[in-house]
Amino acid sequence: MQLSLQGLIPIPLRDRVNSYESGVWKQTFTLNKGEHIFIQAPSGTGKTTLIHMLYGLRKDYEGIVHWDTYNLKQTSQEQLSRLRATYLSVVFQDMRLFPELTAWENLEIKRRLTNTISEDEMGKWLERLGLKERKDSLASTLSYGEQQRVAIIRALLQPFDWLLMDEPFSHLDKMNINKAIKLISEVVTMNKAGMILADLDENYYFTYTQTILL
Amino acid sequence: MKPVKRKKLLRKLLLRSKGRSRLWAAIVALCIGTTLLLLSVMVWWNFEELLSGKSNNDSLGSTFITIGKEVTNENMGKPMLTLFTPTEIEAVHSVPQVQDVGVLISNRFPVYATLSSRLNFATEMFLEAVPDRFIDKKPVDWYWQPSSKEVPIIISTEFLNLYNYGFALSQGLPQLSESSIQSLYFSLKVGAGDIQDTYMAHVVGFSDRINSVLVPESFIEYGNKVYGMNAKSLPSRLIIKVKDPSNKEFVQYLKDRNYVTNNEQLRWNKLRAIVDVVTASTGILSILLMFIGTLVFILFIELTIAHAQHSLTLLLQIGYSPKYLSGFMIKRFLPLVIATVVASMCIAIGVQVIISEQIKVMHLNLPTFPGWPVWLALGISTFILVALVSTSIIRSIRNT
Repeated sequence: MQLSLQGLIPIPLRDRVNSYESGVWKQTFTLNKGEHIFIQAPSGTGKTTLIHMLYGLRKDYEGIVHWDTYNLKQTSQEQLSRLRATYLSVVFQDMRLFPELTAWENLEIKRRLTNTISEDEMGKWLERLGLKERKDSLASTLSYGEQQRVAIIRALLQPFDWLLMDEPFSHLDKMNINKAIKLISEVVTMNKAGMILADLDENYYFTYTQTILL
Repeated sequence: MKPVKRKKLLRKLLLRSKGRSRLWAAIVALCIGTTLLLLSVMVWWNFEELLSGKSNNDSLGSTFITIGKEVTNENMGKPMLTLFTPTEIEAVHSVPQVQDVGVLISNRFPVYATLSSRLNFATEMFLEAVPDRFIDKKPVDWYWQPSSKEVPIIISTEFLNLYNYGFALSQGLPQLSESSIQSLYFSLKVGAGDIQDTYMAHVVGFSDRINSVLVPESFIEYGNKVYGMNAKSLPSRLIIKVKDPSNKEFVQYLKDRNYVTNNEQLRWNKLRAIVDVVTASTGILSILLMFIGTLVFILFIELTIAHAQHSLTLLLQIGYSPKYLSGFMIKRFLPLVIATVVASMCIAIGVQVIISEQIKVMHLNLPTFPGWPVWLALGISTFILVALVSTSIIRSIRNT
């Protein structure tokens, strides 16, 4: 699945976007499946806005976002849900877990949507990221770091062409970051997928094919 | 760890609403509304069945009535004016509510009956005949042919009552049961002068429908020809089969022409008007109740969805489709609607079974199960309910 952007301007950030030269805003370019993109975005440049736009969560922008033939602004809710269940996966900056479900249930509800990953496999991933003991705790009682790791695993429980990540390691220590990077790399490779990681500072979490300054 | 079912998780996320009592109130209102609606349709339909149904509800005014012309001061003494001409008979036949018309022919020859010596009872009497199809309880031996010396007779139950409770008591005569009357033979002396014959007669049955002394048509025809004083005569009474004797237009038709009948039968006319008003107002009330019940039910669903707003949004964000989520909610709520409607239908069937049993005591017949209008009302109301509930769920989820 190919991503092409044409002259994107987020309406709430219009004045700001017009005041400087961005690598994304107002630009027209295409990203091919399998690319590893790092979007370096200093605070306030619209990093989360961009991820949400690419994921179809907001439509308050000018320009066009195309995932293959899907023009996100004209995609129906039904099509969008198909796109999200099978082609696009996301790690939100604010995690977005169901607070009333346990860690395990949060993963299970995503896993059972497509059943691409077995329950055993999921259990192993949980163990790899050090969450085995916490799987039956309610999400609302998990620390930010734990929630972030659950959110990462959840994003990997479906087939995808692209993995979108918005500051995915902001609450993790180095050891856990390394574990997460390893897991993500494996699953991305398994899916032959591309990734877009947006973060504040320059990093070398993955081997990027392109770094774009927002 | 046991596999956690997706549906169970969805239930946990979407159906946490605490307003159980509100849900029950909605279901009860819906159930009462539906039941009332079905019952009002059923009462209306039962009345239709009683008045114009195929099963013969004889004592309920019956679908057979006899009519005659009213004897007034003007036509008194002019018998021709109180008889029915062929044109008039034809006119009665063409009234839409009238299904069949028969003439009551009476004897035009003298008849003198003598009861066997023991009772020493003798009287002059009259006889009438109607076409066989108008007789309510036709006995097996109901026929006569010219060679036969025995004449079967059907008398009105009313006459027997008059004799037993009036005549017999006042004259010190024995009261008679139906079976004892049937075992009595009496002689009928018919004709006058040279042409005279004696026949043996006995009562073979009793009629609730026709207030007369009936003999087979063939006997009257033969008698009128052989012993008759005036050859051709017109009938003074007609027996008609009416689809619904309480029908307004029919009652008006009789009134316009001064035709009289047993008022008893026409009283149903008023009762029917009352039933119409009662069922119509119950119907309106029940529709109102159903409307309120549905409204509360839908509000409950929308409240549940509003409560689960956050979870719904997140489910859509992680890839669940609106169609799937609507389907999930519909599957949760529709069974409640269906159960409610089924409960109402069971109540309605129960009531019908009880009514049809109870009413047998009054010698009326009603089907054991509710008829098609009740099922139709059920079908329509279920369809509307299901449509309203489904669209409200789909709309609320789409607006999430």
